[in-house]
Amino acid sequence: MKNTFTLIMLFLLTCWSTSVAAQQREVSGRVTAADTGTGMPGVSVAVKGTTTGVATDTDGNYQIRVPDNNAILVFRFLGYQTREVPVGGQSTINVSLATDAKQLGEVMVTAMGITREKKALGYAAQGVESQELVQHRQPNVLNAMQGKVAGAVISSTGGAPGQGTSIQIRGINSIDPTRPSQPLFVIDGVLMDNSTSTFGQSAELRGMSNRLADINPDDIESINVLKGGAATALYGLRGANGVVVITTKRGQQGALSVNFTSTAGIEEVNKFPDVQDKYTQGYRGVYDPASFWPSWGPTVEAARQIDPTHPAELYNHFRDAYETGNQFRNSLSVSGGNETITFLSSLSHLKHEGVLPFTDFENFSARLNTDVKLSEKFKTGANFNYSKSGGKRYNADRFNESLSYWSPRWDVRDFRKPDGTMQTYRNNNPIYGAATNQMEDDVNRFIGSVHFGYAPLKWLDLNYRVGVDSYTDDRTRTAPGPRGLAGEQVYEDNGQGFVYEYTTKFRSVNSTFVATANSSFGENFNATFRLGHELYDENINSFGVEGNELTVFDYFDLRNAKQLNARDDQSKYRLMGFFGEASVDYRNFLFLTLTGRNDITSTLREDNNSFFYPSASLSYVFSEHLDLPSFINQSKLRLSYAQIGKDAPRYSTSFGFSPYSGFPTGFTGFTRSALLGDVNLRPEFTDTYEAGLEMSFLDDRLGFDFTYYYSLSKDQIIPIDVAASTGYVRAAVNSGSMRNRGVEIILNATPVRSQDFSWDSKIIFSANRNKIVSIREGLEEIPYAAQFGYVGSTVTMKLIPGQPYGNIYGSHWQRYYGPGEEEDPLFLDKDRPIVIGANGFPVRAPLSSQKILGNSQPDWIGGFTNTFTYKNLSLTSLLDARVGHEKYNQMGNFFAAFGIAEYTEDREDFRVFEGVLADGTPNTKQVWLGQGMGPDGVDYGDGYYRRFFRGVSENFVEDASWVRLRSLTLSYNLPSRWFENNFIRSSSVSLTGNNLWLSTDFSGYDPENSSTPSGSNVDGFAGFTYPAVRSYLFTLNVGF
Amino acid sequence: MRKIYRYAMAFMLMGASLCLQSCEDYFDLNENPNLVSSPPLRAMLSTATHKTGLNSQRVAATTSFFVQYVASPVAGNGTDTYQVTDYTSTWDALYLAMADIYDMKQKGIEEGASDYVGVANIMMSYHLSLVSDLWGDAPYSQAFDNSTLTPAFDSQQDLYAESLRLLDQGIAELNKTDSKVALSADNDLIHGGDKSKWIKTANAFKARLLNKISKQSSYNPAAVLTAVENSYQSNADDAEMKVFANRNPWAQIALNNQNLVLGGWLSRQLVNQLNGTTYGVVDPRLTRITDPTVTGTFVGTPNGTGNVGPANNTVRDEVYISRNSPLTGDLSPIIIASYAEMKFIEAEAAFRAGNRDRAYTAYLTGIRAHMDKLGVPPNERDAYLNNPAVAVGAANLTLALIFKEKYVVTYLNPEAWNDARRFDYQYAGFTLPVGADLPTFIRRVAYPQGESSKNPNTPNSPVLSDKLWWDR
Repeated sequence: MKNTFTLIMLFLLTCWSTSVAAQQREVSGRVTAADTGTGMPGVSVAVKGTTTGVATDTDGNYQIRVPDNNAILVFRFLGYQTREVPVGGQSTINVSLATDAKQLGEVMVTAMGITREKKALGYAAQGVESQELVQHRQPNVLNAMQGKVAGAVISSTGGAPGQGTSIQIRGINSIDPTRPSQPLFVIDGVLMDNSTSTFGQSAELRGMSNRLADINPDDIESINVLKGGAATALYGLRGANGVVVITTKRGQQGALSVNFTSTAGIEEVNKFPDVQDKYTQGYRGVYDPASFWPSWGPTVEAARQIDPTHPAELYNHFRDAYETGNQFRNSLSVSGGNETITFLSSLSHLKHEGVLPFTDFENFSARLNTDVKLSEKFKTGANFNYSKSGGKRYNADRFNESLSYWSPRWDVRDFRKPDGTMQTYRNNNPIYGAATNQMEDDVNRFIGSVHFGYAPLKWLDLNYRVGVDSYTDDRTRTAPGPRGLAGEQVYEDNGQGFVYEYTTKFRSVNSTFVATANSSFGENFNATFRLGHELYDENINSFGVEGNELTVFDYFDLRNAKQLNARDDQSKYRLMGFFGEASVDYRNFLFLTLTGRNDITSTLREDNNSFFYPSASLSYVFSEHLDLPSFINQSKLRLSYAQIGKDAPRYSTSFGFSPYSGFPTGFTGFTRSALLGDVNLRPEFTDTYEAGLEMSFLDDRLGFDFTYYYSLSKDQIIPIDVAASTGYVRAAVNSGSMRNRGVEIILNATPVRSQDFSWDSKIIFSANRNKIVSIREGLEEIPYAAQFGYVGSTVTMKLIPGQPYGNIYGSHWQRYYGPGEEEDPLFLDKDRPIVIGANGFPVRAPLSSQKILGNSQPDWIGGFTNTFTYKNLSLTSLLDARVGHEKYNQMGNFFAAFGIAEYTEDREDFRVFEGVLADGTPNTKQVWLGQGMGPDGVDYGDGYYRRFFRGVSENFVEDASWVRLRSLTLSYNLPSRWFENNFIRSSSVSLTGNNLWLSTDFSGYDPENSSTPSGSNVDGFAGFTYPAVRSYLFTLNVGF
Repeated sequence: MRKIYRYAMAFMLMGASLCLQSCEDYFDLNENPNLVSSPPLRAMLSTATHKTGLNSQRVAATTSFFVQYVASPVAGNGTDTYQVTDYTSTWDALYLAMADIYDMKQKGIEEGASDYVGVANIMMSYHLSLVSDLWGDAPYSQAFDNSTLTPAFDSQQDLYAESLRLLDQGIAELNKTDSKVALSADNDLIHGGDKSKWIKTANAFKARLLNKISKQSSYNPAAVLTAVENSYQSNADDAEMKVFANRNPWAQIALNNQNLVLGGWLSRQLVNQLNGTTYGVVDPRLTRITDPTVTGTFVGTPNGTGNVGPANNTVRDEVYISRNSPLTGDLSPIIIASYAEMKFIEAEAAFRAGNRDRAYTAYLTGIRAHMDKLGVPPNERDAYLNNPAVAVGAANLTLALIFKEKYVVTYLNPEAWNDARRFDYQYAGFTLPVGADLPTFIRRVAYPQGESSKNPNTPNSPVLSDKLWWDR
């Protein structure tokens, strides 16, 4: 597309320039692309205000005659920002052009790698370009997309090196909470696995990577996010949650270009919880330096009178336990080519050490992309990417839980005795745990594809691609056993020592064939027809051996273990689709696209495994049809409808007996499988409707893109939990429906655009509303997740018809209802007074009353990007917001139970709790908040916080809304004149700060974190998470 | 259509290294590679016997609070103080085990393996008793058989009758001599493939069931005695299960307690009975059940109060389930039913039948058998047996004495709660837990959330002081 355009431009400009009268003075120079540094052929160079213009040659060189020194040269190229340069006295003017993401004439890579003009699209699609992706230097590409894509909720599950990141497009659309709601990832036309494997003991708590972490962000040219049904229709059922289409960089014809990028930085925890620093170790106010209880003792002063060795101030063990992390990434790419072959190769290495001691992540990636143009008719090419990633993972949940038990009377950093055993006063030292109780993963991955393009006729184009994504994920989980030394205290989780070895082999093959025919009929119609076939074949084989009780305490060899357990899990999946697309445009302003796809899946039985679904979309570029005022630029209206089918989770139609796992070595047995399969399962269908309006004004300096969507999924296939009396745990059924609807808004503005200074601004906003329309008949609710809280404060996430996904239910203080006033069984009326008991303390409602305390799905998300460019200097900031959602803070619950929270410093105060007695009269009884015998002679037992406060979920389901300065980047392109006489072509330096500022009411760590691994649909828990980090990075980029 | 697909595929995927013999086979991946469709009977037997042993312990882990063998280290613990507590995991474990037993029975019938059918009947009967003695009405007739996702609840009387019927059928099956598949000794984790012991166990369960209705007019001591006679003849016959992935689950509780995941604290009720406080005689089994405190004494924890100290709850100034005990060590078996217990059923039934001599003999034999099982040295054993508080003579034997002694024998066995309810908790010194949620002793537990939330047939739970049919 680009090439055709270039040729036309070249031709036109050449004609144009020959007709121009003689000029007074000649200026020459070279135009290069800012991102790759390569010469740009076909760039239009014109003298502003005249008809004089030329085009650059194949190396990007140009010569133009200008009337005088006041002339201004205008450089234009499709997809790049236009630059104006005053000539002044210069005779050589070299210019580099930056890509322009928002230009409306741009083309987009849509489904199946089909490139289409954005204006022809009848659905929302949003692209993120390379420049935007790399500016924060995020190691995980998903993180780099945060705050930039309307409709996509992207969350780091925590700040561990390599830790997984989740992405959800337009909300959750499956009632089955175990069904991934992550979009499909496609890299250079190959379906790519982005799962987060939690295979292996405690892996679900160890911040495992989502597999996109294997990809080097510097390799990526662009990412297009296809959100709605019409956009993803050709991808079939695997695209039902949206599709993220990744295109990697390719070589350009021309001189060899070498690019080197190096990033180094440090990071620290961005937010700590507030802890009390008044009370020390012990219970009921009695000091005991060996007590299990970290903070229910007397004040520090009182303890120091008993124990002179007590430090003058308590340690802040939460701050002490974390370190400063660091990361280094070096990437080198080489690209170039001639008329026949172009290539790009790259190497990249990332080393990342986390803030939690003994956690790290390393990634090595190598890529080779080649394109071969054998003739005008035949093209071929291949992409190869090898990567190796992994690192030491620790259980942040356990780390923070142990930290909560650790008494700040003791220095947690003093974790190891000289003999190597754990240093502690009594409780487990969390840092010793991190040092010894380990899991290390090692993923070796290969993603490769070859493609062939054959255009036998002018109007016919055949493309075939076959790709493979394959990796092995090896995990080793170890802990030393006791050394048998005198006085040794064993770290609890290490037990008698163990070594567990796990391996997952993943292999998918993906083949795609597309035939494209173009034709025009009449003078007003152009049509493109496509027919295609796709095959996806996936094998996953996981197995492991768990060896317990080591003979030599630190020899991590399975033969050194006394007891062995085997783990095994296999899965095969096959999917084939036939699809067709017909797009017709009328006079280049009305575009209609119809698609259909038929899938055949291996997860349904023969009678139900083949199904068809259609889509239709319309784009009306009314700015090219109607006579609009001149300040309105390209503008269009979009409408689309799509139906998407979906198959069943693997093996939902089968049943049998699975190996029984309760035995020691030497015994085997079989037990009925947990799932009752249903041979009659039918595919489920989702209907989506979407409408949008895109407009741009004032020479494209202002623009907006508004989208409304609605989707309804019916007949969902869900493995419902069934009563154990059936003899099963779950049964696969077709039932239930769920609705999502929402809006997405993108605003672009260029408030200032002058010669030396420009200011670009972009706002994205989106809001999704979900509703569970129905679940299975006879069921009132489907609980899908729960997290522990002390004495009745456990919270549950469940699906209740009429309610949205993400509700968090739990116990609550009893509110007062007068005679005849009916209490709503689901909604908590916080405006009502709390009922206070005769003992003067607030009353918890009976545990049978579990009410909605919050919802984990945000009301809206927004991103606000500003880029200021002054000559070679540019500053980019990204404000990111997620507003209107709640999460359960389990750490807060423990903070109350163990007297760690700052607010428990009032434990020796008297209080009259605000509220009313059972009869509705105001409470006047004064109570003491402390433990044991109060100054008023009343025995308060374990005290208010342990007896009452910690047992009420309501106190720990907190507003998790946040606004943050996601990133701030200052970069400087070193003036090219500095390198005129050496081999360096271009160079830039930049400073980046990520997460520099965070505003939230959440009392724990950064509420973006999640207790569940990436990819999980459970996002309501954020207690003992790996804390998020603030990072400071320095980057040097040099082009040769 | 399929044909077109096949040709199209063959054409388009020429280069692809895919195996495409047949399109239909290619998409037929419904056989889950993680499952087998028909495992051998012996592999079902090992699972079923293992689960049966573990479930005995699992139920006892709850009921041992009610009979005050153990007490919670935490004040106001739900189970300890008769609160409505959710026992979903226990319910689920029982039903999933019954599903495995059901499947083994079906396959046994299919294959004409009467031995397996017999053993399945006996284990099914045991599970039905465990379920029904906790909850009362429960699903059975529509359970496990794929007929419905919401099985109906059968009445507790029907379940009782079915339990007895299953035992009789089980004995009949085991008495057949033409089983097509013999019981696998290696896979029978309870009786090592010994049919005669299974028949004894069936009779032991029958004795329990017949004796359980002691409050009913239909109570027939003669039938109880017949069943006892056909049951165990010595400690060697006991139904036990001792195959564990790591260790005996009681030992795991004890180990967790050592590691400060607190649990397994012995109740003051049990400890005071054994340490002489209640009866003035120290039972030598005390030191075979638990270890002394840091001060060398034996102190139990009152139910409902949690740690009473004097030190905080991590100092070992009370006694716990012990890994040094032959009953709760790492390798100790879970005792499902024992010869000693049978002797006490005999004592009770004979006593109720008016045969005091037989009752007294059985009473002494039961104590002796239990002491032997615990490895109490003969001199200590005999000293206890000869203590006047124990050796009261046939004429002075009372039901209270029988229940008192049986209470020790059924330590950590779920049957103890049935006895406590039949005996109306009349053990000396037995009081309501501190802060009890009920005005009287607990008689049942509430239906678990796990079943009630998924099976609309689940009845509303009556108050927990509401008696089961045989307890009325």
